[in-house]
Amino acid sequence: MLKELTTLFKKVFPWNQEPDGPVMESAEVEALRLAFKSRFHSFKLLLAANSKVLEAMADMERALQGNEPFSMSFVQARCTSISVNVFRMIADMENISPGKYTALRDSFVAIQRQIDALLVQKKKLTDKRLVLPLAAVTSDMSDLVGGKMANLGDVKNKLNMNVPAGFVITAAAHEVFMAADGLQREIDRLFQVAGSDEDRNLDLVSSQIRQQIMSAEVPESIYLAVVDAYTQMKQQNGGQEIRMAVRSSAHGEDAENSSFAGQYRSELNVGFSQFFYYYKQVIASKYSVQAIAYKLNRGFRDEDIAMCVGCLAMVDAVAGGVIYTRNPLDNRDDAIYINSTWGLPKAVVDGNDLCDLFVVSRDDALTIQRREVREKGYKIVCFEDEGCIRTETADGQGNMPSLTDEQVQMLADHAVRIEQYYETPQDIEWAIDAAGTISILQSRPLQQMESHLPAADLDLQQFETSLLAEGGINASPGVACSTVFKVAKKVDILHFPDGAVLMVEQALPTWAPLVARAAAVISEQGGFAGHLANVAREFGIPALFGVKGAMALVNNGETVTVAADLGRVYRGSIAPLLEWKRPEPKLMLGSPVYESLREVSRHIISLHLLDPESRDFTPQNCQTFHDITRFIHEKSVQEMFSFGKDHSFSERSSKQLHYRVPMNWWILNLDDGFTHEINGKYVKLEDIASIPMLAFWEGFAAIPWDGPPAMDGAGMTSIMFRSTMNTALVPGIKSKYADRNYFMVSKNYATLSSRLGYHFSTMEAMVSERSEENYLGFKFKGGAADFERCMGRINFIREILEKYGFRAVVNADNLDARIEGHDMDFMYSRLKILGYLTLHTRQLDMIMGNSRLVSHYMAKLSKDIDSLLSR
Amino acid sequence: MEKQRGFKVLLVDDEDVFREATARQLTVRGFNVLTANCGEAALPLVQNENPEVVVLDQEMPGMHGSETFVEIKKINPLVEVIMLTGNTSVENAIELMQKGTFDYLMKPVDINELLYKIEDAYTRKKLNEKQQQDASL
Repeated sequence: MLKELTTLFKKVFPWNQEPDGPVMESAEVEALRLAFKSRFHSFKLLLAANSKVLEAMADMERALQGNEPFSMSFVQARCTSISVNVFRMIADMENISPGKYTALRDSFVAIQRQIDALLVQKKKLTDKRLVLPLAAVTSDMSDLVGGKMANLGDVKNKLNMNVPAGFVITAAAHEVFMAADGLQREIDRLFQVAGSDEDRNLDLVSSQIRQQIMSAEVPESIYLAVVDAYTQMKQQNGGQEIRMAVRSSAHGEDAENSSFAGQYRSELNVGFSQFFYYYKQVIASKYSVQAIAYKLNRGFRDEDIAMCVGCLAMVDAVAGGVIYTRNPLDNRDDAIYINSTWGLPKAVVDGNDLCDLFVVSRDDALTIQRREVREKGYKIVCFEDEGCIRTETADGQGNMPSLTDEQVQMLADHAVRIEQYYETPQDIEWAIDAAGTISILQSRPLQQMESHLPAADLDLQQFETSLLAEGGINASPGVACSTVFKVAKKVDILHFPDGAVLMVEQALPTWAPLVARAAAVISEQGGFAGHLANVAREFGIPALFGVKGAMALVNNGETVTVAADLGRVYRGSIAPLLEWKRPEPKLMLGSPVYESLREVSRHIISLHLLDPESRDFTPQNCQTFHDITRFIHEKSVQEMFSFGKDHSFSERSSKQLHYRVPMNWWILNLDDGFTHEINGKYVKLEDIASIPMLAFWEGFAAIPWDGPPAMDGAGMTSIMFRSTMNTALVPGIKSKYADRNYFMVSKNYATLSSRLGYHFSTMEAMVSERSEENYLGFKFKGGAADFERCMGRINFIREILEKYGFRAVVNADNLDARIEGHDMDFMYSRLKILGYLTLHTRQLDMIMGNSRLVSHYMAKLSKDIDSLLSR
Repeated sequence: MEKQRGFKVLLVDDEDVFREATARQLTVRGFNVLTANCGEAALPLVQNENPEVVVLDQEMPGMHGSETFVEIKKINPLVEVIMLTGNTSVENAIELMQKGTFDYLMKPVDINELLYKIEDAYTRKKLNEKQQQDASL
């Protein structure tokens, strides 16, 4: 970069340059002015487009760190923005220099093709059956029937356990449904319009999409296939109507690392007359607020998820619940955890009530180790006709165990067999009907966490006075401290501050979108088997449920420490407990959306064209969009420089700055960089109209340079040694281009190539009222001292620049700093800093071996800059 | 007080709320704004009112944005057109750029960004006109 700029400036600023060429007619001059104006306008558009590309690439790089969630809309929008702006740059380059760089278009098309192929990647379904009976389903069919139903198929057909009769409406049917009347296209458009504010506009986007789905007609082919499957079920049921459980079985749901727990809708006890309404409800639930938030936070691509729907004969359960075949909170614990309640298992998974817990040893006798019978005030039961109702338990039933010991052991036996079959811990939903028959409704992989208890020698007694509540159920382990925010109704979601402790009365799946934004979750109700507990564990957020009366204990805004493993909540911040905090999991890493971004970024961000002097620096060798922008930026600057020279156009030839005396600063006016037309060799500072150049100069000239720093012996030796290796560093034979500096300016734009002493720097700035387009780029390289000292200075400058808001990166011995999007005053102040640093970091590399001097100069430069900024 | 830019901008979008809000914001910023809610309604305005810049939504019922663009260019090849879209399709964007749209912005649009694009499109149009004039002399 620096080498080629030197070469370029050699070409453009010949030392004995006589600005005046052959005298031109005024019409010719006018035509040249117009041509130059047109070129400069294209150059400005090109720079603005370049800035947009860099901005979008920086967004991508930030996203690639995996700390923040992002969606496919984000990836697509950035790709489109980059493509459009790279294309814009090519078009502008063609305006600047017609016919010279046509090969850029070929490179563009080749790169674009590769990106397109990655963005439209979608699994192709080969099996087009719309409906499959559950009796024909096995676990290798997850692409067609979704993970949940594929697993259940094996439980029914391979393990021969009791699973309700039913059928699955497949992914192929989903494809047919979404393709009808351009439904999917409209959904994609709604997501796109929501843009990067997708998570903030969740309610609106979700409601618009769900409305579209609910008002769509079910295609006839699906309708007929479902009627056929139901008729067969009815025949097998002696011609009796069957009420159904209509359950989501989406792709990715119930996978090993992502449960989508409670994110989608399942409708229970549905009569066939209402069936298609609920089928659409389940499909629409793919776009529920919580499902969109979950997909966003876990990096799932919407297009990868087809909503298959399982339709099972309804089990009118007297008891039901969830089995964890191992302890999800502690991977050393192999006991079987059976959560149970009266009525349908929905009460357990929804998390709005307490349930019984039976812990069973994995010994031959399946011994019941522990029984925790809790007060079950409510149960969910089937309505006689259709639907379900939450009703109070009566006649003391609430305090009675919902399972007999024999039933507990039978369930444990089922659990062991299912786990053995899948060879991994399972989370199993079950129900028992009035005849005592066990039905398995769902089985999915269970994630186990590592237990992470505080050090045994930590005396918890010392925090007793701060204890606010204890005895809660550890739903997700860990410790966190923050201010409390109570959420009682849906509208409270809108006001939830990021990083607060979420406090709720019931652990409902509705609150799931807040979990990823919360420091911890406290609920008065619910157990560790509910959906919300599952989500908290997935996101690594500590959760404590069953904390009775929690909502009344604290006010919004009060600070608490939640220690989920201890089942305790403390008032204020308990620092010793916080040391036991878990690192936040980076959930985006490796996710489908993340991988898509990583793949496309290879064709966008990587830079291969490094040396403009190299023969390989050609349009044909541009392998990425970054290469194209790099190439165009380099060549456009060169073309702008050569315009005046090529046309013997004195107005557009460089002038020497006269600032008290003639200086080694040369300036090329691109457009309106001078206050008026300058004839002759020199331009005075008062004739400069370029805002960025004036800002830079103000910083450069504000504080006199004290001269070279006093060197220690090692610093001097370092330079002597380097001088023997590199003759360009020996003052007597140094390049004639040393200590010469070149500006190219317009009113709002300046680029500078400067060499002061032995370091080289370039600066480019756009500063106007258009804050959004303002930017400032600074590159710095070199020095006379050895590599370590040069690097010392580069890091010294980087530290200062970062302090003042620059984004600075050091690659090899290059410093690359950038700042953008600020208003004129701010940009002006940062240019002053660059002007100051350009002068005052001269030869500082020599003292970089001496930490005392480094500290001294850091303090001095910081003080000077602060005083400069206060002027 | 916003500077008066004076020149005519035609805003074509079928979304009433977006069109009216954007027209209001551009008017406040000194543009002389004409509006149309579909491609069909835009063409007579291009013919009779001679706008300098057209801001055109791509996804419209009836005459599609890309089709409208082609018709506008037939009426006045020098008018600059900025496309707006809620669709991220890169292919679409590039195709339109190749056909000669001045720029391509994705919804939701930042009003300042739109304003700059309109100003840039206007400058480009004036330069093109001047160059064409000089060439014909």
